[in-house]
Amino acid sequence: MVEREVIIHSDAGVHARPAMMMVREAMKFPCKVSLIKGDIEADCKSIMSVLGLAIVSGTKLIIRADGEGENEVVESLVRMIENKFVMESV
Amino acid sequence: MGKKIRISEFLKNTGRVDLELRLITGKGGLVREIESVDINRPGLTLAGFYDFFAYDRIQIFGLGEAAYMRQLPPHEKKRVYEKFFSYDVLCCIFTHNEEPDQLFIELAESKNVPVLVTTRSTTRFVSIFTHLIDEVFSPSVTLHGTLVAVYGIGILILGKSGVGKSECALELIERGHRLVADDMVEIKKVDETLLMGSGSPILKHHMEIRGLGIINVRDIFGIGSVRNRKRIELVVLLEEWDSSKEYDRLGMEEMMYNILDLEVPFLTIPVRPGRNIPIIMETAALNQRLKKMGVFSARELDDKIQDWIRSEKITNG
Repeated sequence: MVEREVIIHSDAGVHARPAMMMVREAMKFPCKVSLIKGDIEADCKSIMSVLGLAIVSGTKLIIRADGEGENEVVESLVRMIENKFVMESV
Repeated sequence: MGKKIRISEFLKNTGRVDLELRLITGKGGLVREIESVDINRPGLTLAGFYDFFAYDRIQIFGLGEAAYMRQLPPHEKKRVYEKFFSYDVLCCIFTHNEEPDQLFIELAESKNVPVLVTTRSTTRFVSIFTHLIDEVFSPSVTLHGTLVAVYGIGILILGKSGVGKSECALELIERGHRLVADDMVEIKKVDETLLMGSGSPILKHHMEIRGLGIINVRDIFGIGSVRNRKRIELVVLLEEWDSSKEYDRLGMEEMMYNILDLEVPFLTIPVRPGRNIPIIMETAALNQRLKKMGVFSARELDDKIQDWIRSEKITNG
């Protein structure tokens, strides 16, 4: 299991589009991926769960992954958050 | 317990219940946090007995306290109030619409202690307040699943993402059942026997259906297709059919699922193309209702068979 703590810095918070980006990224990996805000754990593969966390700028999140590809998925989600959800050209 | 809630937050979320409160002073103090479900009647404290003064609870001033305060001579009043507010009092609520005097209000304001007045009687207010605060402080957990009310039974559908929880719920809604929450279900143990499930306030009655995106169930199917909360009486796990796994064929034993230390009847339903899960779900709900009434189909059939075997033995032997 891999865990990383991040703070969201994008002004608009995690609204529909960034949520979708995170879900898409998580879906690429077979492992279980969750976002934890306070005492609520949300499935990062479900758009409704991610939206339901009501993540605003300044929110502290823990990204937790367990299973195959756990390192990669956490790494790439953290990068996405640090880049403030700006589309990367990879 | 460790849980806390701001007074302002609590007052905002009383739901359908109106505590009939109005704020007299100490608005800034509304950010203070309630840490206990208990209240305090400060009668003894005002009379000078400061041992066991639970200043960190909500202070309820009833008719008795108000009358006592009124008959105090002015110099005495000042001493009593100053002593009272020398403690870090959380919040004062006066019942029966009894507004405190100016001196009390001034002191409360200077110490930033919220003072509220309710038109309700003390007993009534305390009973409603306790009920509400109990709910705030009751243990809760958020699970990834879908909660639907089927024939009056609250079914919590669990399963991995993509197994078809939302699609199943959608078909149930289409068949006239009700959606409580999709994807994120907040469950509260309201009392020792009752688990109440509701959705997140911002997601309210929205669902994500692969290929369609996000839909608003209430707008599409109408108000009759949703409800805000429902007691959870059955947990159903949807999982992809695993041919190596033994599924329950008899239903003689009731399996249980543990949520917040409460046992809820539990079924595992294997999903396979061509299996009509919503109909199985409806049947499960009806069967659960039968069980609640004390009728266990599997056991009854077994009893009948055993009776028949016995009678056969007699006629043959």
